[in-house]
Amino acid sequence: MCPGLPGRGHLWRWLGLIGEHNILVSSVGGQGGVTLTRVLSTAAFSQGMNVVVGETLGMAQRGGSVTSHVRVGPGVRGPMIPRGGCDVLLSLEPAEALRVAHYLGRRTRAVVNTAPSPPAFALLREARYPEAEEVIGVLKRITGVVYPIDATGLASEAGSTRSMNMVVLGAYVALEDPVLSPSSLEEAMAASLPPRFLAMNKRAFDLGYEAMIGLKHGG
Amino acid sequence: MLGDEGSRVLLMGNEAVARGAIEAGVEVVAGYPGTPSSEVVESLIPVVREAGIRVEWSVNEKVAFDVCSGASLAGARSLVTMKMSGLNVASDSIVSMAYGGVNGGLVVYVADDPGAHAGMVEQDSRLFARAALLPMIDAWDPGSSRDAVLEAFEVSEEFGIPVEVSEEFGIPVFVRSTSSVAHMRGGVELGPVRERKRAAGLTRDIRRLTRASPAWCKEQHARLNERMAKITARFEASRLNGLEIPGGARWGVISTGVSRSYLVEAVERYGVEGLATLSIGTTNPLPEGLIRALVDRVEGVLVLEELEPHVEQSVRALRGDVGRSIRVLGKMDGTLPRVGEYTPDIVEVALGALIGRDLARRDDLEGPRVEARAMAPRRPLPFCPGCSHRGTYVALGQALRETGHGEEGAIVVGDIGCTILGMHPPFDSCWMEVSMGASIGLASGIKYAGEERPVIAAIGDSTFFHAGVPPTINASWNGADILIAVLDNEITAMTGHQPSPSSGYNAAGEASREIRIEGLLQASGVERVSVVDPYDISASRAAFVEALKAGGIAAVVLRRACSLVARRIGLQKGALRVSPEDCTGCLLCVRTLGCPAMGVSGEGRAVIDEAACAGCGMCAQVCPVGAISGGG
Repeated sequence: MCPGLPGRGHLWRWLGLIGEHNILVSSVGGQGGVTLTRVLSTAAFSQGMNVVVGETLGMAQRGGSVTSHVRVGPGVRGPMIPRGGCDVLLSLEPAEALRVAHYLGRRTRAVVNTAPSPPAFALLREARYPEAEEVIGVLKRITGVVYPIDATGLASEAGSTRSMNMVVLGAYVALEDPVLSPSSLEEAMAASLPPRFLAMNKRAFDLGYEAMIGLKHGG
Repeated sequence: MLGDEGSRVLLMGNEAVARGAIEAGVEVVAGYPGTPSSEVVESLIPVVREAGIRVEWSVNEKVAFDVCSGASLAGARSLVTMKMSGLNVASDSIVSMAYGGVNGGLVVYVADDPGAHAGMVEQDSRLFARAALLPMIDAWDPGSSRDAVLEAFEVSEEFGIPVEVSEEFGIPVFVRSTSSVAHMRGGVELGPVRERKRAAGLTRDIRRLTRASPAWCKEQHARLNERMAKITARFEASRLNGLEIPGGARWGVISTGVSRSYLVEAVERYGVEGLATLSIGTTNPLPEGLIRALVDRVEGVLVLEELEPHVEQSVRALRGDVGRSIRVLGKMDGTLPRVGEYTPDIVEVALGALIGRDLARRDDLEGPRVEARAMAPRRPLPFCPGCSHRGTYVALGQALRETGHGEEGAIVVGDIGCTILGMHPPFDSCWMEVSMGASIGLASGIKYAGEERPVIAAIGDSTFFHAGVPPTINASWNGADILIAVLDNEITAMTGHQPSPSSGYNAAGEASREIRIEGLLQASGVERVSVVDPYDISASRAAFVEALKAGGIAAVVLRRACSLVARRIGLQKGALRVSPEDCTGCLLCVRTLGCPAMGVSGEGRAVIDEAACAGCGMCAQVCPVGAISGGG
């Protein structure tokens, strides 16, 4: 799917002091955050790595906030990323990136979908909903680097906005030295997604990958 | 779930509980859905035939426990699952079964919710195990969740005490988890599936199996105490506990549940050396010998446990035996919180306080972090697109205004489940919720106190079957003038669409009898019962108006399948569309319905997201100029 990526030789360089690579997936219920988390954790597990996933599902399965912690590395035990300990943020919605700010720090590389999904009440009570630019602005003051990406738009191009989570996955793979290999992610996609939507999701993945390569080269 | 011995798989804590039951040769499993416990039964459903297990969603946790008790008395290993609220429902039977004992192993899985992620109380069920005089084992990750279940079945069957008139028998054993553990995923190496061997079956033994004679009852109580003493000794040596005291250790940490993992990480992260540690899996009875062994050797002890200071109280009590002063850090001295779930940071700071190092994470980013979090908009759960409850609350609001009871002129008592979301705008309907089925009794009491405004109990179908029938009979029998609205979406929706008795199928997906709520209401003596489709707002409003005007006890059943289920089984209707030429931009549709599929265009007109629209057509009914059409 994505040629020319570094192999696992670089793997442990990212795993820090106690050997951990912490991915945080933040989303709104129904956006595919849970599926993205499953693909990431299945891929890591198939690479023989120690994986721990924490999910705060609660009542938030439909239209509420959903946060997943995917933790990879030999020293990982608990289901929660420590304060400021997130290595990669994958936010499927801009405002949801704000909600998890306490997990972010200089070590964080943030991939943020810029298409907002405002709660119904924001329409009713004229509550202020932050613009994507504001979100990116404040995130840049916390994290090492922020990659804003119109994942929802690219997913539409791929065939359906429902493949937006795989656009973000493609963008993750295009980050430097991703801990998870493209081939294991591709297998995990095939194992986790409905077969009839697999081709569309792979298109979405590729569009995300290319968009991220463009961003990294100042596109 | 039925993978081979020795294979390593990624499992959720709750899935690991299910796997543990399979490895233990379980034959009967029952539960009532409740976050964070539901996935145990759900992950067993696909394998019931192959594994030869009888699995059911029962109508409530007490029934589920009674079903499993019966199976156990008949000799089968049984597992019953519930969230902490359900433990309260089942408690009457659990306490009694502790006295009579079991035959086949009986394991009660209960999941607590520190952090209140599921929107109920932060109950610490370890204290209930003490009250019931029953053993409890706490899990801390998926692997230990499986191990805890295996151990619990062994303990349940092992400590029978032969008495004069009875054969040997065992007692129920709790396995407890918490949200973070129940929903955590991690690698688990599958173990062998034990060959089923039936415990002795049921024989008539009223000296053991009834409580009506005080003498026999006290005999059973004494026997239970003896049994717990034996279990205490077994738990001292359990591999679910771990004591490590390196030479020259000055400090000790006792940890339970998810804190065990956070402690291991913190010790590694900060290179803390020479720390004595006791991790406890058997939380009732506590391994006091191990605790004493640790306390004996150190100058200070930190106790890590979420919610109540259960272990800490024991540590403080044992401290007196040591005969020298030992510092105890926990909740009772204010080092750690009693509210909310623990995080790695809470554990790190507390560890720092013990060893005299500042382990608080500090950087110069707190300002922007606080600013970012303050910018995040609240995201209260809305009703889904096409949710039938939306129609109910819109119609109820209209009916109350029509009968002169608008603007807090009537009291709507909510109940547990999706139906409570009527508390949010734009409906602003429900005033309170207490527990499963409580709305009807609450409404009755409010009336008894002389409230003159109409009082309406709003309750979902699964909640009505669970605990709504006795208060309905009570209200009817005792003459409470209330209106009962049963929001029947034919499913237990909030917890993930488990079937309810009105679904027409059971946990295994097999066709079943469909229990009609209107029949139960009528049989309870509620004579004025109407059944309407909440998608039809004017018909629903008319039903409410009629019931409100008539006075006395009345009920309206609002029946329409959950829209998410309809979508899943392909019964979804086509999307609606707003005609931009006809829309006047009054946005009455958006303001009345709060539908997540509706938005406002740049020109200030209503728009519908076709992918999200469920085709319910309520917006077309609300639009005053007929600008919305389609669906069907």
